[in-house]
Amino acid sequence: MNWRGGWALVKRSWSSWLQYRSFFFVLAFGWMIPPLIYLFVWSTAAQSGTVGGMTPAEFVAYYLVLILVNQLTYAQTNWTVGDVIRAGDLNAWLLRPLPPLFHTLSAEIAGKVVMMAFVIPAALILALVLRPTLNATPLQVVLFVPALMLAWLLRFFWGYWLACLAFWATRADALLAVQDALVFLLSGVVAPIGLLPPFMQVAARVLPFYYMVGFPVEVLTGHLNIADLLSGFVIQAAWTIIAIFLYCRLWRAGLLRYAAVGG
Amino acid sequence: MSEAQIVVKQLTKTYRVPVREAGLRASMRSLVRRAYEDVAAVQAIAFSIEAGEMVGFIGPNGAGKTTTLKMLAGLLHPTAGEARVAGFTPWERRPEFLRTISMVLGNKSQMLWDIPPLDTFRVLGEIYGLSPIDFRSTLDELVELLEMRSLLNKPVRNLSLGERMKCELVAGLLHRPAVVFLDEPTLGLDVSMQSRLRRFVLDYNRRHGATVMLTSHYMADVLALCPRVILIHHGRLLYDGELSKLAERLAPFKLVRIGLSNDRAGQELDLPIGVEVLQRADDRVELRVNRGEAPAIMARLLNTLPITDLAVEDPPIEAVIDQIYQGGGV
Repeated sequence: MNWRGGWALVKRSWSSWLQYRSFFFVLAFGWMIPPLIYLFVWSTAAQSGTVGGMTPAEFVAYYLVLILVNQLTYAQTNWTVGDVIRAGDLNAWLLRPLPPLFHTLSAEIAGKVVMMAFVIPAALILALVLRPTLNATPLQVVLFVPALMLAWLLRFFWGYWLACLAFWATRADALLAVQDALVFLLSGVVAPIGLLPPFMQVAARVLPFYYMVGFPVEVLTGHLNIADLLSGFVIQAAWTIIAIFLYCRLWRAGLLRYAAVGG
Repeated sequence: MSEAQIVVKQLTKTYRVPVREAGLRASMRSLVRRAYEDVAAVQAIAFSIEAGEMVGFIGPNGAGKTTTLKMLAGLLHPTAGEARVAGFTPWERRPEFLRTISMVLGNKSQMLWDIPPLDTFRVLGEIYGLSPIDFRSTLDELVELLEMRSLLNKPVRNLSLGERMKCELVAGLLHRPAVVFLDEPTLGLDVSMQSRLRRFVLDYNRRHGATVMLTSHYMADVLALCPRVILIHHGRLLYDGELSKLAERLAPFKLVRIGLSNDRAGQELDLPIGVEVLQRADDRVELRVNRGEAPAIMARLLNTLPITDLAVEDPPIEAVIDQIYQGGGV
């Protein structure tokens, strides 16, 4: 592993992406809009008491944390890997003695840092205005860290294997649209998944999307019992392993195909 | 005996491409069942190149040059055959191999658009694990040779095509590769920029003994840089040897230009057999004669015609190459 080269790449991507910070700020703002809408919808709906056991202030806390988690875990790989494959720029990566994964990771880190420069102040201002209640126990705070890291890993590699489809299909947009819709519905953006109809709740708990966003949010802000936490972490870890496995297989097969047909 | 720097044996690359007739019906049919066609891009070519050699790799568009270079740089798997570059099998893409070679593509930039070239160079220095001293001295040398110090801190987006090409060369040579593949390095550049880059490549090859394989459509590049050329056409190797001998072998004729004294201008000429008139304008005539018979024919011409001026030349290399590209054969 060439860590020295990888770190240099991170710094470069960062300085390059900083040139576009206004673009990233607008993008981050766009990503904040759907959770913000549902923040207002649910906290208004709960005005006269609670909905699904949550007070308006708890909804605010849930969605503010969700905004942070969603942006931290958002998969950029369709642009940072998929477009590189489609445009034939992969050659430049393959000619250097550095695993291509580093290019993606550096873009990931650079992009997330640039966006956080916008999202954290925005969330703080919203918190001052909307007054959330957050009664997280120290255990919840501690567990939130691995839940968030696994969520990031899962979403990153899930996005990565989807991006690898660019080796075969020039456009995988339709599939990505389906995936985005599933994330929107089942990850806890539309509503905390406890408020979904029963069959959707089952789907959400089985499929990976809830573990990309909603699960870490609920670890910090919700009332998950020990059984929920345990099964949550197990399923999250299992999906992460599956995502990494799919990435490895598709990346390797994709490279073989790339080497067969040329870029 | 030690192995040559680049050894290629029976290297073959066949692409499978989907084919489809025009029209709606054909496109419906191709949804269900796709027809494929095998296209032979490179067919069993073989050559070997010694360390420090500078070889021009020429052929018309679509001849298989870039495919071959991509196989040698490890970007493509061959369908059959083998290749060794600096002792490595390229398509295994081992890190040590990648540190030994470099590929510079004239039509594909690897510079990041928004940051100054120096930043990209620094990252490359880190990727190749160069010590700060090595990095500095190599960079200084390249920058000096290319006369581009003033470009180092400008964003790449503000550079001209020629200036960007200089950056590509620096990016490709920072790690002092022993084997360099240059694919159309002078594409789209003006004449003086072309000749400056040529001088640079020559200089670099002499200083560091790097093996260079160069493709170019500008014969001036090849003439200036490459004592040896490898010519491929339709994926087959047509010629491997000195550029000057290429003309001799492939163009078995010479050009004779004669000037006639004024009184004979415009009159019918009595020419020996085997002489072809290419052009005639009043008192100037351009003839094509068989290479072997040239001396005898010349003597005859001097005896029979009132010649005021005479020049014998090899046909221009462009004309020879054009003849091969058009005719497809040697």
